[in-house]
Amino acid sequence: MDSITVPAKIEELDRVNDFVMEKLASLGCGEGTLFQLRLAVEEIFVNIASYAYKPGEGEAEVDCEVLKDPLRVVLRFLDGGVPFDPLAREDADTSREALMERVGGLGILLVKKLTDDVQYSYEDGKNILTIMKKL
Amino acid sequence: MNLEVNLIKHGSDAELKLKGYIDASNAGDVEKILSDVAAKFDGILLDMAKLEYVSSAGLRAFKHAYMDLHRKGGSLTAKNVSKSVMEVFELTGFTRLFKFV
Repeated sequence: MDSITVPAKIEELDRVNDFVMEKLASLGCGEGTLFQLRLAVEEIFVNIASYAYKPGEGEAEVDCEVLKDPLRVVLRFLDGGVPFDPLAREDADTSREALMERVGGLGILLVKKLTDDVQYSYEDGKNILTIMKKL
Repeated sequence: MNLEVNLIKHGSDAELKLKGYIDASNAGDVEKILSDVAAKFDGILLDMAKLEYVSSAGLRAFKHAYMDLHRKGGSLTAKNVSKSVMEVFELTGFTRLFKFV
């Protein structure tokens, strides 16, 4: 397993993406799969950067592990911010009326739809969001 | 900004050619550009042929432009949307807001 720890700031998004994409580079993943993973990584990391330590600052750790049979990637996002389970809320309402009222919760909805498994836990003072995607 | 935007005027409508990425790091800039264009034109046609990536932050920018136009009876249309970007629109219900050609 490889891991990266960065300040939980949106400016670090590229570094996190580069870290994940580097791990997958030699696996021959399709463009569509890489797009979906990049999206999941952004939505989760940006949530941490935007809310976890508000109004203070902190760090985010991302662990990446590629597993076989079936080939899949497991990403764990850890932060020491306010305990928050993003999976506890109902899925965002995507009706036309709701979208025109407000846009919220679409990021985590995309994460759920574009990965094969998402789990949340709170351990040792850390939020841990784990996603798995088959490659 | 890792996005290029080119504006082509068609009378009272604007065509915007998007090339690159829209993510959380540049969505605020994109929102401002779209808002300026929405204020000056009746309709916006977004050519997404070279839009390689959009996240929920980008959706927010599109949504605000859509609302600005909708309020004055205008429309937001997208064309040449890639399979991956279209999937984002479909999963989030944005296919119910925009027109697609």
